[in-house]
Order: sequence, then C-alpha cells, then structure tokens
Amino acid sequence: MKGAEVIQKLNEYLTGEELIVSSNGNVSRQAYNFLPQPQVYLRGSMGLPVSIGLGLAISQPKKKVIVITGDGNFLMGLSSVTTVGFAKQNNLRILIIDNESYATTGCQETVSSALNYGEMVKGMGIESVMSIDLTKEKEMTSDLLDQFVNKEELQVLHIRVEIDDINLENIPWHPIEIKENFQNR
Amino acid sequence: MIDTEQFLSFLSEQGFSLATGVPCSYFKDTFVSLEKSKEINYIPATREDEAVGIICGYFLGGKNGFLILQNSGLATIGDALTSLAQLYKIPLLMFVSYRGLEPDADFPEHLVMGDVTEDVLEAYQIPYWILCEENWKNTMEQALKVMKDSSLPVCVLVKMGVLSQ
Ligand SMILES: Cc1ncc(C[n+]2csc(CCOP(=O)(O)OP(=O)(O)O)c2C)c(N)n1
Repeated sequence: MKGAEVIQKLNEYLTGEELIVSSNGNVSRQAYNFLPQPQVYLRGSMGLPVSIGLGLAISQPKKKVIVITGDGNFLMGLSSVTTVGFAKQNNLRILIIDNESYATTGCQETVSSALNYGEMVKGMGIESVMSIDLTKEKEMTSDLLDQFVNKEELQVLHIRVEIDDINLENIPWHPIEIKENFQNR
Repeated sequence: MIDTEQFLSFLSEQGFSLATGVPCSYFKDTFVSLEKSKEINYIPATREDEAVGIICGYFLGGKNGFLILQNSGLATIGDALTSLAQLYKIPLLMFVSYRGLEPDADFPEHLVMGDVTEDVLEAYQIPYWILCEENWKNTMEQALKVMKDSSLPVCVLVKMGVLSQ
C-alpha cells in the first residue's frame, strides 16, 4: 500500500469532528485532498507537526487530534515525541506514514530503515503503539484504523508504506487562509 | 526584581493559560512561581522550536500561551518563526533571556549571541522590548498590544536580575 492510500482509507473512519494536523509536503497535500476540510495543513515548520498537535490537543481536550506525519518530519522532531510521552494527552494520536524517504524533495533516503518504531516510541513513554509494514502485507486489518481513531487513549500508529506515485497540486489556500478557515470551522 | 507571582498573575489576567520553553538561570524564580501557578499550565519542552509548535497549536485551538527561552534558543527557532508563526500570522509572546552582556563576562558561550541578539530579532522583523523592573506593566501592555494588533510574534528581552535573583 502507498501513503496516499492509507490516508484515503483513514477517511472511512473519521466522523468529520477530528482535528487533523498534517506535516509539510506531500502529506499535507494528501490530507487536503482526501480528508474532511478544513484542517491544519503545514506548509513549512518541518519537524513540528507533533508539537503543534500536542498544543492543539491540550487546547481542545474534548476533540480528537490526529497528527499525520511523514517519517522525515517525525524524525526531525523526534524529541517532541518524548514531550508527548511526558504530557500523556489522551485525545492525541500520531499516524506516521513511513516511506523511508523524503519523498517530497525527490525521494532521498531517510534514516528510518534503521529504526524499530514500536520499541522506540514505547521507550518514550507512549504505551499504545502499533507498527505495521504494508509493503509486505497488502491489506490493513479493518479494526486497526477504527481503534486508532476511536479508542480513548494516546496512540501512535506507524505504517511502513510504498512511495506514492501521485503528484498533487499545492494547497491553493494561503497559510493565513488555512488558519482562518480552521479557526472558523 | 519584578515579583514573579505578580508577573504571572498579570499574564493570566491577560488570557495566557499555558507556558512552555527551555529554562535559563535568568528565569529561575519565574519557573518556581510557574510550577506553583494554578492559572498557568507549564510543559517543559526539549527544544525551543518544539515550544513554538506547542504554543502555535494551542492558539489554533483558541487559547493563548507564551514561550520562555534563552537567547541561544533564538538560533533554534528560525524556521518555526518564519514558516509557522509569521507565515500563518500567529501571535506569539516570547520571553528571551539576554545573555552575553557584562554580567556574563565569564560565560564565553553566550558572548557571540549576546552581541547579535538584537540584530537577529531585527533581521527576523520581530518587534522587541527590554523588560525593566520599573514600568514593567507598561512595557508588557505595549508588547501585547503590538502582538494582538499585528497577530504576529513579539519578543521581550529579559536581563539578569529582572525575573530572578
Ligand atoms: C527545515 C527544512 N528542511 C528541509 C525542507 C525541505 N523539505 C520539504 S518536505 C521534505 C520532506 C519531508 O519528508 P517526510 O516528512 O518524510 O514526508 P514525505 O515527503 O516523504 O511525504 C523536505 C526535506 C523543509 N521544508 N524544511
């Protein structure tokens, strides 16, 4: 499975009430195209989607906050995941779309292949961690995303995927518009 | 020195309910008061750019927080400021310790950043004020007005002895 397909699949489990923060580059474009709008689409601040999601989750404790991040973004902000392990914010979830590359800038390799995400994230104080490899298994078990969206606990879902072959246009909204649309939702 | 409990009460009355950042000894007493505060929640951050992210996310959810960092951390938050807070027009109150001036003669690690701190803020087009014990409320009101009117980051520089012994 490819990253964009995972994001499209996630859409089937959303109520539309979830607040979604997506990392810069392809992931934000896919979130914009395939998920309910408006959301927080990051154009820059590589490495910060997890911390922005944490701040949002603390600010809106009754809403579910889902961070969707590429592996490059996740690893750049790795220490912010330790803060999430410390803060234990139950309404926060992190979905890592791991294509082992900086796909947006031309598919250069990241260091992702060396890592055991399950153990790494558990060691950071986040107990509910699932890691699956969809380059090997072709299908996702149906309860995986259901649990990720609906279970009332801090969760990390790491999905190893194949690199996308679609190319989406830039998000047409200026970042100020992204903010205002999100604030007015 | 400004009474740090009064200072935090003022910030809480102004609508701030979260603080995050990375400590500097210039804020030692501020942190003691912060950890006691019931109105302002404090989250320790691992890096200053992460702290910018947390406050920006908190703002997008409809609430206001502020940042505490050493001026060395100004060097860490360039991208967080330019491609997040400034790009999306997110108001951000930053308290930055002004290390590397005369009292820090024995701390060479701060000297270069001390020399360029105001230049860095100017280059990033971030309005800044220097906090003093006299008239601190006035300074804070000015900084908050500019932050709200522009919906952009502002910086309050804090020298030795102003927010901690
Ligand atoms: C600080 C910084 N360095 C580099 C870039 C250039 N850049 C934009 S997107 C991107 C790759 C992001 O990788 P990842 O999060 O894994 O997502 P993917 O592109 O694989 O979907 C990079 C390196 C940037 N935007 N900011």
